[in-house]
Amino acid sequence: MADPGGHEALAIAFAARERWAFATAYRRYSALLYSAAYNVLGNAEEAQDCVHDAIAKLWRARKPFDARRGSLRAFLMVCVRNAAISRLRRHANRRRLTERLAALPVEHGELESDDPIERDRVRGALARLPAEQRTPLELAFYEGKTHTEIAAELATPLGTIKSRISHGLRRLAAALAPDEVRSAER
Amino acid sequence: MSGHVEDRAALYALGALSEIEAAAVNAHARGCLPCLRALGAAEREVALAASLQPRREAPSALETRIDDLLAPPARVWWPSAPAWRPQAFALAAALLLGLLPAAYFWDRSRAMQSAVVAQNAAMQRMIAAPHRMASFDGMPGNAAATVAYGRTGSWYVIVIKGARRAMRVAWMHDGEQTMLGEAVPHGDVAMLYLPKSHRMDRLALMDGDRVVARASLRYD
Repeated sequence: MADPGGHEALAIAFAARERWAFATAYRRYSALLYSAAYNVLGNAEEAQDCVHDAIAKLWRARKPFDARRGSLRAFLMVCVRNAAISRLRRHANRRRLTERLAALPVEHGELESDDPIERDRVRGALARLPAEQRTPLELAFYEGKTHTEIAAELATPLGTIKSRISHGLRRLAAALAPDEVRSAER
Repeated sequence: MSGHVEDRAALYALGALSEIEAAAVNAHARGCLPCLRALGAAEREVALAASLQPRREAPSALETRIDDLLAPPARVWWPSAPAWRPQAFALAAALLLGLLPAAYFWDRSRAMQSAVVAQNAAMQRMIAAPHRMASFDGMPGNAAATVAYGRTGSWYVIVIKGARRAMRVAWMHDGEQTMLGEAVPHGDVAMLYLPKSHRMDRLALMDGDRVVARASLRYD
């Protein structure tokens, strides 16, 4: 039997749409989820709406999650982040996103980052990727562009872009992996 | 079940797919364990990078909203609307062909008007082409809503008569709702035009987060 307070039990209960699991998951990951939305939207009110709507969408879903998928934490983060990107696209505020994310260290000076050095780890790891993988990955991660937009912008076939993004993401994660162990969060 | 989506897992996790594409990837993965695991792996990779970005505590107001969301609901549903009458179809068509342009032109700037003229012309061309219509069941009060759509699912026009405020339109699939847009009232009529490239068989109208009406669409 899984530890009732553990990640596995939480994921199973979340998948079964149990209220306590939704409430616990939100409390456990609230800072991560809110930050994921805020870092894309750059607006506290929008970020709150985004997190709320993303959780509401899952709450209404018949099967909100499949524990075989893996990490509930990662699933929720991606749900919220994708919802934030979609929200931004709908509002046609991509320019604002680009400017905000490009100026991240300055504009987010008020944010409580665990360690300023960590902020640069993603950019540092990205910088070590080959340009052909780095550029499409940056366009997706920092600018919220779709793969079709990236393919058009880089004048590269869609299949090539997909492949480069997949490989680049894998290498990026491998470079950042020690942090994952240290964070000890699934 | 369509083809595997492992090659799109990274794009999904990065948010580099459109909402429709992402929904399709998710729908496939639900019934395909290898693809589900590929999505999970990509999600962990993106979450790892995203979690190293600046972090701030969530406001307590958000926790209150989440608590409210999860609280056992004391739902108040709109009363059921009477059965859809055939003449309402004619009304909707008339709105599309005649009344909507007037409602639109009413308070639009010249720049907006040209866009509306183009949209109206496109709609008239579409309505003249083979299409189907379906009603939304459950509309509150005297409001009525219908959707006209291309037989191949290439376009959809949602018309709400008696709309008091904007309503969101969602595609219902696999136990999820994908937001498609918002029908904003102009006068007494709200309308939303959706150019799409796939068939959606269930649509819902939402007032905020609440589904108030549903329509079932059929294709050849």
